[in-house]
Amino acid sequence: MYKWFAGKRILKGVVIYAIIIFLLSCLFNTVNEKTMRSQIEEQVRMEQTRLKNTQPEALQKFAQERRASLIRQYKLDRPMLERILFRTADILTFNFGKSTTIKSSDGERDVIKIVGECIPRSLILFTVAAAIEIFLGIFLGLKQAQKPGGKLDRTTSLMTMIVYGMPTWWLAMIIIMLFVYTVPLFPSGGVHSVPTPTGIMFVVDMLWHTVLPLFTLVILGFWGTAFVTRNIVLGTLQEDYIMAARARGIPENKVLYGHTLRTAAPPLITMALLGLLGSIGGAIVFEGIFSWPGLGNLYWVAVQTNDIPVLLADLAITTGLYQLGLILLDLIYGFLDPRIKVGGKA
Amino acid sequence: MKIKDVSRALKEFWMEFRKSTSGLIGLAILAISLLIVIFEPVILPWHDTNDKWRSIDYWIDNPSLAKPAWTNLFAKEKSPSTKHITSPKIESVDADGGMKIVRYVFPYDYEFDKAPLDLIFRASITGSVPITISVERPDGTSIELASHYEEGLTGQGIRMAMSNEAKDSTFDFLKGYETEEAAGSLNSDSVPAPSVIFGTAAAGMSSKFTALKGKYQLVATAMLLDPASSKIENPTFIVSGSVSGVLGTDDMKRDIFSGLLAGLKWALIIGIVTSAISVLVGVIYGITSAYYGGIVDTIMQFIYQIVSSMPLLPVLIVIGAIFKPSIWFVIMVMVVFFWTGPVMTVRSMAFQIKEETYIEAARALGANNRRIIWRHMLPILIPYSFANMALSVPSAIVYESTVSLLGLGDATIVTWGQILHDAMAGGAVLNGVWWWIIPPGLLIAILGMSFAFLGFAMDKILNPKLQTR
Repeated sequence: MYKWFAGKRILKGVVIYAIIIFLLSCLFNTVNEKTMRSQIEEQVRMEQTRLKNTQPEALQKFAQERRASLIRQYKLDRPMLERILFRTADILTFNFGKSTTIKSSDGERDVIKIVGECIPRSLILFTVAAAIEIFLGIFLGLKQAQKPGGKLDRTTSLMTMIVYGMPTWWLAMIIIMLFVYTVPLFPSGGVHSVPTPTGIMFVVDMLWHTVLPLFTLVILGFWGTAFVTRNIVLGTLQEDYIMAARARGIPENKVLYGHTLRTAAPPLITMALLGLLGSIGGAIVFEGIFSWPGLGNLYWVAVQTNDIPVLLADLAITTGLYQLGLILLDLIYGFLDPRIKVGGKA
Repeated sequence: MKIKDVSRALKEFWMEFRKSTSGLIGLAILAISLLIVIFEPVILPWHDTNDKWRSIDYWIDNPSLAKPAWTNLFAKEKSPSTKHITSPKIESVDADGGMKIVRYVFPYDYEFDKAPLDLIFRASITGSVPITISVERPDGTSIELASHYEEGLTGQGIRMAMSNEAKDSTFDFLKGYETEEAAGSLNSDSVPAPSVIFGTAAAGMSSKFTALKGKYQLVATAMLLDPASSKIENPTFIVSGSVSGVLGTDDMKRDIFSGLLAGLKWALIIGIVTSAISVLVGVIYGITSAYYGGIVDTIMQFIYQIVSSMPLLPVLIVIGAIFKPSIWFVIMVMVVFFWTGPVMTVRSMAFQIKEETYIEAARALGANNRRIIWRHMLPILIPYSFANMALSVPSAIVYESTVSLLGLGDATIVTWGQILHDAMAGGAVLNGVWWWIIPPGLLIAILGMSFAFLGFAMDKILNPKLQTR
């Protein structure tokens, strides 16, 4: 049954992703085609300069033919709907074309390479942060739920509300100002020092660069997880079987971590991962501030250099990752909640 | 629902709400912000901030990157704060040939340890009026600083900045006191004019500034060649200090406090408009979906899933980068994404309400679908969404400031995010210009916090499930 559930969910995710990409292609069609046309012009001009010793008329004729063939090749002469569909198909097959200014670290201009080398850097930072966040958050939330209305519960709830509307990137700016320029303990940004050290120092150097971004992410993130954990666990703790377990004399810790946490796990994981997915948005600016060369930072660079192909590809990849996260979320939920596996209603 | 019912419900709500301290704090902050927005024209230190935020001329008299004025309290050496001196004493003397000489004397108490950055004279002039600026110092000396003459003016403003125009005259003054050896190695650019004007005149004054404290008289002497047709209006001296205003200035010499005040109403508008519209849309959507059920529900749920699985911020940024939208367009895009928030909760609640007997009774009485949704289901479910409304305000504000931070904000208004963008671009983080970075973000956080307080307090009352047994 789980196989069916998983297959259906993945298929649905793919369909939704395709529809989203189609919608985005509609939205950005005009600007996309404008960049394509200017790229065609540039290519034609480049090829023209290569043809030396040619008559001006022949040169002009060549340019016209070349332009026409390129326009045909990029399907710019087709009707609007067809063009949009082709664009959608291009994006879905990761065929993003060439960037206008940004280059990858090997100096290539293939958009897929540029975006591709950013993905792991982003993933590393955010999965590590999420792991720490979820761990701390669940621990704190359980402690809160044990004594609702207690001192710990109240102060933590208050903190949750205080950081509720606080932009991560602003805290990042403050922390950089404090720990980089006022008290120079950490580097201001990037993943590695220049020149990059080798061997064991390579790892140490990277960790040293990771401390500040990680710290900022976690310190703002785990309050929310704790708050959600508290509310979910509080609901579970009121169930009769918990009371029964306590009546049987089972140690409190076992009740908490064994009985309660197991039941509360599915919604907990959902909320925690949903929070992580939500932070993808904030990550864009966050990475820019720490010049952490991930997907988020790429938005900054693309916006500043007005590189439309990279911008759109970045958007497509981010949306894809987001979609992937949502699918994963449902799969984990289905795995943890046996009712879904047997086909019952959750 | 009748008005009486509403007022009773509100009263009951208030009785509950009063118990939550944090809710009351949130309400108080919100009320204060609303008051500030209403009285903004009165309290804004720079009255034209809203229109002239990006005008270089408007801010030109301010010092650049000046600390807030109150930092003087903690500083060992006091810095003069920016001061506009108006209302001079006017002494007018008739001279030969029908001319009239008018002296505008501006008293200025100088009790600081550091020199001002500049001394600026401004006035609007009609006719042909030669003006000479001089200063009478507490030690009895006086310096003739600069003079200005322009023919046939028709009410234009003139501006004389002493840091530039009094360079030579102050250098001459300095040479009279400084040792020959020191003076020989200097030129008129080496010592800033304000340091000479407000410094103790003695040998060594070129290398070390010692303040000459006391009462100064800044004098503008105007010669009205034709008293009938010429006049001087609004003569003003501006002492441009190294500290300025409540929250200092940025690198474009703008008063940050004024910018923050002007940004407050936009933060409120963005937050409240976005959340109000989107929550309303979401509630109606959820009810409709649940009420009709069947194929309608399936289709509406699919649309909901598509929208809710798009990441908002990346889309918003790309839209911002490509279309350069106005603030209303940004709000619209946010609504398009935000409405998904309450849909699921409302839908599940509406499924229950729909089965209630009074809905059945209404239908039996011949009420059509629209009437049932609008008159019977919506009034019950709307209150539940208030908490949701308050809780989505902070994210709307943060999203807008994030887009602005990347420099994609609406260039016709001032928002907190834009101030932070300027701070990032101006290297405020690198140079530790804390008064430029901390206040805007803190305000975003405080406003977000007050809405979170409100929202969680309402949530507790409206969703009794969360209350502890």
